[in-house]
Amino acid sequence: MILLKPGLYLITSFIALLVLAVPFFLVQASAPFWASAGIKVLTGTEWFPYEMLFGMLPAIIGSTWAILIALFIAIPCGVATAIVTTELVSSSLASATRMGMEVLAAIPSIVYGLIGLWLLLPLLQSSFDLLSGHSLLAAGLILALMILPLITLMSMDALRLVSNTQREAGMSLGLSWEALLFRVLLPQAWPAIRGGILLAMGRALGETMAVMLVVGSLDRMPEPIMNILQPAQTLTSRIGREIGEAAFGSIHFSALMACGLLLALIGLSISLFAHTRVVKA
Amino acid sequence: MKHKNILSIIACAIAAVISITPIYAHETLHAMGSTTVMPVVSEAATAFYKAHPDISITVSGGGSGVGIAAMIQHTAQIGMASRNTSPEEQAKLNEWVDNIVIARDAVAVVVSKEVYLGGVTHLSLAQIARIYRGQITNWKQLGGPDAQILAIDKEASRGTRHVFAEAVLGNAHARAPGASLISGSNNEEQAIVARSHQAIGMLSNAWLNDRVRGIAIDMDGVAISPTLEQIRNGHYPISRGLHILIAKDASPAARAFVQFLLSEKGQGIVKKVGYLPIH
Repeated sequence: MILLKPGLYLITSFIALLVLAVPFFLVQASAPFWASAGIKVLTGTEWFPYEMLFGMLPAIIGSTWAILIALFIAIPCGVATAIVTTELVSSSLASATRMGMEVLAAIPSIVYGLIGLWLLLPLLQSSFDLLSGHSLLAAGLILALMILPLITLMSMDALRLVSNTQREAGMSLGLSWEALLFRVLLPQAWPAIRGGILLAMGRALGETMAVMLVVGSLDRMPEPIMNILQPAQTLTSRIGREIGEAAFGSIHFSALMACGLLLALIGLSISLFAHTRVVKA
Repeated sequence: MKHKNILSIIACAIAAVISITPIYAHETLHAMGSTTVMPVVSEAATAFYKAHPDISITVSGGGSGVGIAAMIQHTAQIGMASRNTSPEEQAKLNEWVDNIVIARDAVAVVVSKEVYLGGVTHLSLAQIARIYRGQITNWKQLGGPDAQILAIDKEASRGTRHVFAEAVLGNAHARAPGASLISGSNNEEQAIVARSHQAIGMLSNAWLNDRVRGIAIDMDGVAISPTLEQIRNGHYPISRGLHILIAKDASPAARAFVQFLLSEKGQGIVKKVGYLPIH
């Protein structure tokens, strides 16, 4: 037992090292690309590795749209499900929901991709009269399905952790159910729900396989920019499509690592934004 | 005492694993690359394993570019490619890799069943080029049904893309502004064409089926279909060799497998999959 504390410190410092090493690797591997192409690629719209054109903007916009759509759908649905299952229905129904969500969370992403390919795309194609259904909307919907379990489960836990004395106190004050929900339960549960949303966003940001199958992988700017019904490209899908061929050490490889670095930076900035907002609130 | 017990159990387990290993030790070869070559190699690997249970071969796709890169980076013993190596790639492989053609096939220009039945059964290379350049956008312009064209391009790393773009657009890496989708493996492309009513794409001739029809190419007024016969006599314009890459100093097992691919049995598999044997 005397070794417990040093052991814990050792493990933690190892993890800390990893946390530093991964971004360091991304920066190091993408450095040749930034050095040769410069920061202006961030606003470039043409990605043709064989012509040494590495415009990042279409994929950045594609990734952003896919995540926004996913969060826009999954947050309300997940939180609503959590409220209903923890506050309104019997606990056996709640545990059934929990089990269902855990099953959804365990399904590999390639399966979600195939579900998208065979069910979602034909549906989108016929309902919006599209050429193929491959689109940012399809990517967003599949991502929403994939992050829904995470948001629901975290929100359920968060609500359950609000002590019952709080509920009883609220009710004895004569608060309506709405007031109890919005003034007592959700404010207390919010930090944990937000944690769930951030984790979910991380998953959505990094998801490759499922997105690759439904997004169309077409490296072109959406026209107009809010057109989410056209085939498009995301940063992850580009990495997934091209990494196998890019020779290690080439500028192309380095450019794909730069895409990875961008994803990490986007994740970091959203997380920072969420933290500062909450501290202020 | 308890700890000692656990430790001795672990030690015994490790010793057991080590002592058993040599009995099951067999050579594992990894083949990687073109999904066009893959069906031949995986079927041959199964047959080869029956005759040589001590050699197992794992096969994975990724595309010709991936297969060639895997050889250069030494991550596979056998590379599969459905195109010739580029000069830059060849420079890295020249000294130490053998490039062996095991079969020939055609890159078929495929359309959805509805387009084919709607009247588009043959096109010239120039017409196909105009589709991929975005100058023809409706099947009506080619005598087909009134439907927008869904032109499917492939990932830049795919051998089929190289061969197709070279024959149709004049350059393996030519841009295709008329394309509205990028697909990867032959399976993925086949699935998209089969599901659509208005698609055009590029596929190896072994992937044709009822929903995915190969159209004939007009050459000097004669429509030439992507059949084995037309590949053999050299009339079909988009045909190619299917390559196996293997290091010159590869293990005897890897050599034996390549010999098996070239043997009568191996070439029988080539024929069964739907490609043209080299003999």
